Amino acid sequence: MDTTARSGDDQGRAPLVTFEDVTLSFEGLVAIDDVSFEVYPGQLFAIIGPNGAGKTSTFNCISGVYHPSAGRITFEGRDLLGLPPHAITELGIARTFQNVELFPMLTTLDNLLVGRHVHYRSNWLRDGIWLGRARREEVAHRGRVEEIIDFLDLESFRDKPASFLPYGVQKRIELGRALVMDPKLLLLDEPAAGMNLEETEDVARYILDVKEELGITQILVEHDMGVVMDLADEVAVLDFGRKIAQGRPAEVQSHPEVIRAYLGASTDVGGDGGAAAGGDAARTGEAAIGDTTDRVTDGGAS
Amino acid sequence: MPTTPLSVRYEDDLRLFASVWRRIGIVLLAVGVVAFPFVVDGRWVMTANFALVAVVGAVGLMILTGFTGQISLGHAAFLAIGAYTAAVTGDTFGLPFWLSIPLGGALAALVGLAVGPFALRLRGLYLAIVTLGLVFIVNHLLRAFPEVTGGLSGIRVPMLWWFDGPRVGDATWELGPLTLASREQLYFLFVLITVGVVLFATNLRRSRTGRAMNAVRDRDVAAAVMGVNVARTKLEAFGISSFIAGMAGAMFGYVQTFITIDPPFNLIMSIEYIAMIVLGGVGTVVGAVLGGLAFVAIGPIAEHLLGGLPLLSELSSSQQQRLMFAVIVGAFLLLEPLGLYGVWIRIKIYFMAWPFRY
Repeated sequence: MDTTARSGDDQGRAPLVTFEDVTLSFEGLVAIDDVSFEVYPGQLFAIIGPNGAGKTSTFNCISGVYHPSAGRITFEGRDLLGLPPHAITELGIARTFQNVELFPMLTTLDNLLVGRHVHYRSNWLRDGIWLGRARREEVAHRGRVEEIIDFLDLESFRDKPASFLPYGVQKRIELGRALVMDPKLLLLDEPAAGMNLEETEDVARYILDVKEELGITQILVEHDMGVVMDLADEVAVLDFGRKIAQGRPAEVQSHPEVIRAYLGASTDVGGDGGAAAGGDAARTGEAAIGDTTDRVTDGGAS
Repeated sequence: MPTTPLSVRYEDDLRLFASVWRRIGIVLLAVGVVAFPFVVDGRWVMTANFALVAVVGAVGLMILTGFTGQISLGHAAFLAIGAYTAAVTGDTFGLPFWLSIPLGGALAALVGLAVGPFALRLRGLYLAIVTLGLVFIVNHLLRAFPEVTGGLSGIRVPMLWWFDGPRVGDATWELGPLTLASREQLYFLFVLITVGVVLFATNLRRSRTGRAMNAVRDRDVAAAVMGVNVARTKLEAFGISSFIAGMAGAMFGYVQTFITIDPPFNLIMSIEYIAMIVLGGVGTVVGAVLGGLAFVAIGPIAEHLLGGLPLLSELSSSQQQRLMFAVIVGAFLLLEPLGLYGVWIRIKIYFMAWPFRY
């Protein structure tokens, strides 16, 4: 079941993130069922799967919003379980949200400055008195924020409240808010959801820029198979909380289990011996998965 | 506007009074504030003193409710703690006001930090109800120890310059042609405190702490994932807010010179402060200042306007004031939810776009 094949240059390096036999359940519902994977520094790791497969839940486990009932999650060798969300962020993990979670009353600039929060050393008393140190710090962090504003072309939206801006721009601000943290790991939850082809291409370019120019390790959850197959170094596929495949995009595309999960199979659901059905579907499936013109478009909640 | 200079450094962009207009405005305001007690009738100086108390109290509530989004009906309790601290430390121990005011703030902040943890688990109306309980608990405690607090018969609030020393207003100051009696001295002391509190809140709003508070108000889960310690931010808001409320309470005691428990420190006072920040504009320091000033100014205006009307003239002056205030706040909620601050923004935009409509 676990076809772990990773790009050759990752061999021999310590993983940045490890997911070890993680299980997350809500009452009777098992959202994540015994999932394991490793993400290596510099990698662009994608997680795909049908709706409700547990992709966003995986992110929520990493960022401390959900608490898995079993297993281990480590980041740079440190156990993340039990840490509150803000402590996990302080370790260098930033994320964006599937549904835009900007602070609607704050301007673009203030939204991005909240992203710098963990890098400040001031406290409420120094902030209130606003002499010397607090002011110098504010100026220094403003400089970093302006670099990201430049990187993402957000100049013209700087002083506008986030809720007044178009959806595509809000998505970009959210990416910026994650980037200003100078994270070691970036979790992107459906960055291209709800975007047209042109906007999707912009997002893809930014994701590649983040990888190539900033060198940040990324985990990407995305329904747009074109984006995933073109950008990702490695892909893990979840279905009903279980990992059914992992490997390079091309390998995953032709994996019988993946095709069954996305396209359904007429016979032998749940068995391991679906080779005949899988082989059949593989030919039709290859055309469907990974083809931008015929996208798997299930953009709802996962 | 050509008078707004192009900022080339981030320092310039962060300045409070960057444009020429703002600098002219602040100088005019300063001149007006200093000249005020010498050009108006003495009764209005007294009104101004109450207004300054309201401004300080409203800024305190603005930090908790406006910045951090924690609705509190317990504001009157913090004011009561501040006022009674000033009364007891002044009357019994002979402490000077410049010690009593921060002491009142500190004691109120302690109680605020004790109530704060409720906000970690409760939101919205549930938090409002818990903080409402605080008003009754504090009132009960003040009544339960009459040997300390004077109980139902009330207590004097002496405002001393020095330990067991002379009181503020004992001596009338002569500055050339100007005379500063008790209420003028109080006025200038209160102006200093108010300016300090307003600056503190403004700085908070434009720095890391204030942004964290706003983030918690708007989306607390996202705030936590951005690295904001939500629990700590809420507690900071409670602590700072109740400290300022305690200071406002002490100031209130000094204007009254003699205080009782209920009235004035009851649920109505808490609601009045919420109405003030709604009237002024939730989420802004300017809103708290405008709301506090407007609230106190409405009293004399209401008396003047409603006094001549049938039926309404039979109400007591405080009833008239409350009626007028209720109508105005209701109208603002319906017509301009951003409050007086929103009105000000509209005026500004109108003149910036002039002679065009928009």
